[in-house]
Amino acid sequence: MGLEDNLPSGILLTNLEKFVNYSRAHSLWPATFGLACCAIEMMSMGGPRHDAARFGMEVFRASPRQADLMIVAGRVSNKMAPVLRRIYDQMSDPKWVLSMGVCATSGGMFNNYAIVQGVDHIVPVDMYVPGCPPRPEMLLDGILKLHAKIQGETFAEQGAK
Amino acid sequence: MSETDVDADTAAQHHVGAGPRDDDHTHADDPGTNPLPDGAAERTDDVGEVRATHAILPGDTPDDGTDAAPLALQRSGRPDHGGGDTEYWVEGADWESLDDAIGESTLTINMGPQHPSTHGVLRLVLECEGETVLAVEPVVGYLHTGIEKNAEYRTWAQGSTFFTRMDYLAPIFNETAYSLGVERLLDIEAPERAQAVRVILMEFNRIGSHLVWLATGGMELGQTTMMTSGFREREHVLDLLESQTGLRMNHAYVRPGGLANDVTDDFAERCLKLADYMEGRIGEYEQLLQRNPIWVSRLEGVGVMTPDECAAMGVTGPILRSAGVDWDLRKRQPYCGYEQYDFDVAVGHGADCYERFLLRVQEMRESIRIARQAVKALPGGPVMVDDKRIAWPSKLALGPDGIGNDPTYIRHIMGESMEALINHFKIVTQGFAVPAGQVYSAVEGPRGELGYSITSTGTNRPYRVHVRDPSFVHLQSVDLMARGHLISDVIVVVASIDPVMGGVDR
Amino acid sequence: MATPADAPPPADASGPGGDTPIADPDEAAAAAATPPDDPRRPSAIPGLEGDPLPLEALAERIVNGFGAVTTDISHGELTVQVAPERVHALLLFCRDDDAVRANVLADLSALHWPAGEFVVERQPATTGWPDYRIERDRGVIEVDYLLRSWFRNHHFRVSVGVDDTEPVLPSVTDVWPTANFHEREVHDMFGVDFTGHPNLRRILMPDEWVGHPGRKDYPLGGVEIEYEHDKFIPSPQDRELRQVVGGERGGDRHE
Repeated sequence: MGLEDNLPSGILLTNLEKFVNYSRAHSLWPATFGLACCAIEMMSMGGPRHDAARFGMEVFRASPRQADLMIVAGRVSNKMAPVLRRIYDQMSDPKWVLSMGVCATSGGMFNNYAIVQGVDHIVPVDMYVPGCPPRPEMLLDGILKLHAKIQGETFAEQGAK
Repeated sequence: MSETDVDADTAAQHHVGAGPRDDDHTHADDPGTNPLPDGAAERTDDVGEVRATHAILPGDTPDDGTDAAPLALQRSGRPDHGGGDTEYWVEGADWESLDDAIGESTLTINMGPQHPSTHGVLRLVLECEGETVLAVEPVVGYLHTGIEKNAEYRTWAQGSTFFTRMDYLAPIFNETAYSLGVERLLDIEAPERAQAVRVILMEFNRIGSHLVWLATGGMELGQTTMMTSGFREREHVLDLLESQTGLRMNHAYVRPGGLANDVTDDFAERCLKLADYMEGRIGEYEQLLQRNPIWVSRLEGVGVMTPDECAAMGVTGPILRSAGVDWDLRKRQPYCGYEQYDFDVAVGHGADCYERFLLRVQEMRESIRIARQAVKALPGGPVMVDDKRIAWPSKLALGPDGIGNDPTYIRHIMGESMEALINHFKIVTQGFAVPAGQVYSAVEGPRGELGYSITSTGTNRPYRVHVRDPSFVHLQSVDLMARGHLISDVIVVVASIDPVMGGVDR
Repeated sequence: MATPADAPPPADASGPGGDTPIADPDEAAAAAATPPDDPRRPSAIPGLEGDPLPLEALAERIVNGFGAVTTDISHGELTVQVAPERVHALLLFCRDDDAVRANVLADLSALHWPAGEFVVERQPATTGWPDYRIERDRGVIEVDYLLRSWFRNHHFRVSVGVDDTEPVLPSVTDVWPTANFHEREVHDMFGVDFTGHPNLRRILMPDEWVGHPGRKDYPLGGVEIEYEHDKFIPSPQDRELRQVVGGERGGDRHE
């Protein structure tokens, strides 16, 4: 973080950014944050048919300190919200959040007292994947778009998060 | 040393989602601190050794000369501290007083809601002495969605969409139990074809649910091959469900009155092909796990529950049947035409986690058997009840761009019949009214008795629907089953209950 | 059922609190051998005496054995209504009586009948249906105990109504320990105080939550979603954390 802030911008930094972003994007390890039905589809995405490992998501790390990507899969209740924030805080930079399913994106069909209406109230979200639940192919599409987004990031943007 | 005995995973969990009492106790991850009182280290090692060579059977005592292991087990797995020791029985409200009473020799570990092995957002607060668990308190509610209250603001048909997301591994069971209850209130019966299709889809859903159980159970115990195999198989089941209902999961397919749409023409062929395929694969899992020494030693003797305890704790499903009680709602209180199919109920006598594993595999076989019979005997006819005031009006058909409204039906309501249009409009926007009353309808889900208490006041909305979810009831028994076992056995016990937190928290 | 050779010995059938049915392997095998066109196989549960009691006989047994309860049979189900002071005794009777033998508490649920007028709008303009109104002078929380008997293969409901301003009921965890979580849920959702419960805390909502969401006077909550074409919705980065408890318009907003 500190080194990146102090580097001068220019063509040297652009190439460095490209290289760093490439390696970040293509070995994005998700943290297990499966909550509800979307978690099952997320597991299916890691399963043999829609193999996520071929895109670099080799393992689902249980410990947030070893993970890059938090896929919030499922409905976040008000009781779970502080836990979600704590897990997000425990992840080390650089980190990204993908909100999977409509419940994580906006509360979904559960517009009531119990569910946080969108996980972006709690953590900054980089990619929203709608669906109830989204097919594993849709989730993979979202992840690949996230890869593209990561590829285009500058160091300053990541540091500002 | 005892730190190395402590599971590395458990140490990592201290960082994650710390519980309210975490600050009060020493942590095992603090290097150089021995959380156990002096002299206990050797005992732990000894007990660890004893436990490693064979599973603890009820009545075992270590024969290495120590004066009683920290927790000798009685038949039911409850700790017996030996003659003269005070036994502490704590439930929740007295939690703090337990710490004061017996001092700092116990360790409170929080397996927080975010955990790879707790089957969803389940929080377990373990009170341990070394690696041995003295008490487990499950904390639930992290997935509470207010589905029951939300259903009071939706029509009866929309309820199907909500309740299917409770137990999301067995959505057809949720929908069917709900629909059966509403049909009882309406005093109608779904057509025979609808009942038969319900049975077929339920049984395949049972297979899918048991596959997820096998997969995640295997993964939690370290066997990732089971994880990939299980999900590979499940994809085939989901293919079938998707071809009929349109969705892989959470299909709002079974509705009060029948089904949303008829099955496709190749339904029978698909089912039989899937049945043949699954039968071969189940043999594979048995080969992989049944005699696997690691699997056997981790599951055998763990989590014993006697039939009396099952009755007292309201435990049904595979756990009850593993204790030897032949209670299956499909046989005892048949619904959806189960009485016409010939199948056996898998019952065992081991009452431990290994027996439940064997039973679930056997249940998958029986499900295939039922599905085959039901497919062969599939009657023709409508899939929705004939009553215009109740039946879902639109006809779905497979068009060039997927499942959608049948063009002939659209032509009918738009061009030909104003009445049909009005009827369609009313049923879709307002729904049908259900006469006042209260029913309880239960089905035998993959986890146990799944019951719906439905109350109606005669309007187009449910007044109150309460779901009796088996996982909710079974989680109370984790404490009973896991006392005196090791921390890693707690994982096995929770896995053998097969809780789905969507159903627990609703 | 094939069990491995070194399985633990079968669980003991008898124990404190009465015997529980055990499937005898020979009987189970005999049951399995019955021809498939006979839907009524011999039961593998010893102690199941013939067919289940018809509901009328069951109601009669409860009225005669316990007394002072009202019974109601509708939709093929029996509901026994009892006063709150006698519910614990009635449940003990149901568990211990030979004919009723309800050894399992299948479900413990509650519902709220609020005082005053309760209106369910049914869009009379489009449907022609009148709005549905209930008028009650006393608010009641109805707690239902669903009892099931594995021996007799029947189930029925015991229903008790408590005043909704001060709902108090005796806990039945001493009769069936499974009531533990159920009563905590009813307490959480409806505010019923179960005396004698070992651990009466909130179970589904966070511990510090105020209010009991299951009640009819508790709003559904959530956020306003009706489309207003001239309303500006800020992007997530510009939004503040909003309160999601208690919508601005309580009650029935979702049509």
